[in-house]
Amino acid sequence: MCLGLLLALGCGRAPAGGPAVVTFPGSALGAEGQVLRRQLERFAALRPDIRVVQRPTPDAADQRHQLYVQWLNAGASDPDILQLDVVWTPEFAAAGWILNLDRFHPATNAFFPATVTANQWHGRLYAVPWFVDVGMLYWRTDLMSAPPATFADLAREASHAQADRGLRYGLVWQGARYEGLVTVFSEYLGGFGGRILDGGTVTVSSPAGVRALTAMRDEIYRDGIVPQSALTWHEEESRFAFQNGEAAFMRNWPYAYALMEDTAASRVAGRYAVATMPAAPGGRPTAALGGAQLAINARSDHPEAAWAVVEYLTRPEQMLERARGVGQFPTRPALYAEPELARALAIPPAQARAIIEHAVPRPVTPVYTQLSEILQIDLHRALTRQQEPAAALAHAAREMQALLDRVGLGEGGPGAGR
Amino acid sequence: MRAGEGAERREARLAWRLVAPALATILLIALFPLLWTVWESVHLHDLRMPWLGRPFIGAANYLEAFRDARFWGALGHTLLFTVVTVTLELGLGCVLALAMNRAFRGRAVVRAAVLIPWAIPTVVAALLWRFIFEGQTGIANTLLVDAGLVRDPPVWFIHSGLAWVPVVLADVWKTTPFVALLLLAGLQNIDASLYEAARIDGASAWRQFRYVTLPLLKPAILVALIFRTLDAFRVFDLIYVMTGGGPGTSTEPIALYTFNSLLQNLRFGYGSALSVIVFLITFALALGYIRFLGAGLTETRA
Repeated sequence: MCLGLLLALGCGRAPAGGPAVVTFPGSALGAEGQVLRRQLERFAALRPDIRVVQRPTPDAADQRHQLYVQWLNAGASDPDILQLDVVWTPEFAAAGWILNLDRFHPATNAFFPATVTANQWHGRLYAVPWFVDVGMLYWRTDLMSAPPATFADLAREASHAQADRGLRYGLVWQGARYEGLVTVFSEYLGGFGGRILDGGTVTVSSPAGVRALTAMRDEIYRDGIVPQSALTWHEEESRFAFQNGEAAFMRNWPYAYALMEDTAASRVAGRYAVATMPAAPGGRPTAALGGAQLAINARSDHPEAAWAVVEYLTRPEQMLERARGVGQFPTRPALYAEPELARALAIPPAQARAIIEHAVPRPVTPVYTQLSEILQIDLHRALTRQQEPAAALAHAAREMQALLDRVGLGEGGPGAGR
Repeated sequence: MRAGEGAERREARLAWRLVAPALATILLIALFPLLWTVWESVHLHDLRMPWLGRPFIGAANYLEAFRDARFWGALGHTLLFTVVTVTLELGLGCVLALAMNRAFRGRAVVRAAVLIPWAIPTVVAALLWRFIFEGQTGIANTLLVDAGLVRDPPVWFIHSGLAWVPVVLADVWKTTPFVALLLLAGLQNIDASLYEAARIDGASAWRQFRYVTLPLLKPAILVALIFRTLDAFRVFDLIYVMTGGGPGTSTEPIALYTFNSLLQNLRFGYGSALSVIVFLITFALALGYIRFLGAGLTETRA
């Protein structure tokens, strides 16, 4: 961070004829920062005409988002390259803050389709998928021989583990009122064949939506497999419960896999595997899509140079290095056949790829964060039994639709974006 | 005569010049942001949707707030929190102050010890109390079960009613010492001879409290009331840390909703309208108290 600051202070714009200076506020901390610095050093040797300056930014997503919005609103041409969370791309694209990348002819078919969809707005690509994150089901290999395919199987196995093996919990997930709850719900929703949004129409209160939310609620109060405390839990609380051997199943992100292999901290090391979340008849196993993307500031003075950096960082060999250094999953399916990736990642690449292929982006809309906030509140109301699932979802749908209509993104609205 | 008038005018001019920096500072840091907030509140200004522009929309933001169930909910929660915590803090603070006012051994130590909760940063206190009440096997639940008070311990933070208990407890724990200290200062200003006279007249302890202590303590009580009410009305950090306003929005106060609209959703127009409403309410409260306080002061002096 100090290094980044010194660099930032040390160089302004290059004089005419000198190298094009491109600023990039990517994560500069820990192992991630080291990998990035190595990659940028190699890039510098390759392209002496471009100088990349790292900018320190907060690592917390909310803070980074707020900072970006302030910078871009003020029309700043700096930073040139932006590291975006997967749900920000449409927002920044519709606001006209980031460049349409189609002019650089990126090879979009080399990436997982879901990661490309999430980065498109009005059919045009605005960011390149850098690494991918997906929600998955962790299951205990010492308690069962195969992961459950349906929610009913899961409930049965979970109750069984509680009754016969004396496990405290059957299943743990993230139920606090925050973005994580929406990602969990989106996996249940997909599993029951529903969607949050269909174009400009909110469809979350469909029968599939009500069934999905009711299923989550039943897991707590009817089947008793999910603890009530989970309604205050984020990722880490779920991981602690699972790694202490207290739960038969856990819904979480890939980061937990490597951490729980540490025998000093984990009681389940070597006794778990991952699979896609289950589905109900009529639904499809669904994994919430997360991860980071690289975009270019629409006001950048050096869009070509910025693109050269983005293109370099998203090359196959750089992705493999990221996987090796930080365990992040490449966005290129072809890499999952590489033996090197198997050595780099804790999760067997074939399993990881199978889950990523079930990834579904959260609604691709510029107002995603606002829609999500409405949904978080009503989901939490239903799960804490302040409201029935149908009533809560109907309320959420009304509010979400009103928001879409108000900003011209609703069905029949003029449509935003340019 | 003329020279004297000139000197007076010069003096007045000098006075204005001397206070000018202070006045300018007040204008700059108090009035200017306030007026800007009012200006924002009558515009549609959504940082995340620049394509909507920044048009003047009159009272539309205010009308939206008045039609917004979440706004009314947040206002209700704030009022509930204010009334409950201020009442408890004043009652307990009074008891504490009376106890500390008595002469006993180790009084200085007790007075210092009582202030410890007040000295702890709010965020730390909030995290502490959240930890005590967290989960089904938290400290509070374990104590309740061991004492045989409950058999099936609740998860406090997922009940719209129960979630208030830790929040109110934390606030009362943290701020009662402050109230106690204010009241203690008031108590020490009461002349001991008044109690002597009351005792000679045969007044019971209760009557002494009711007719000597209470009236003379009124100014201190009013000061404590005004500080605590305004503070409680702006409650933010404690609830932000403990419940985040949840479950659902059951414990969301108006300051948290405003913060959400302004800094999470970056709706500057709507968030500003909420801020202006909060400002008007606190301003009215302060004004009411100052009139009340003034009357109280003159009454006790008379």
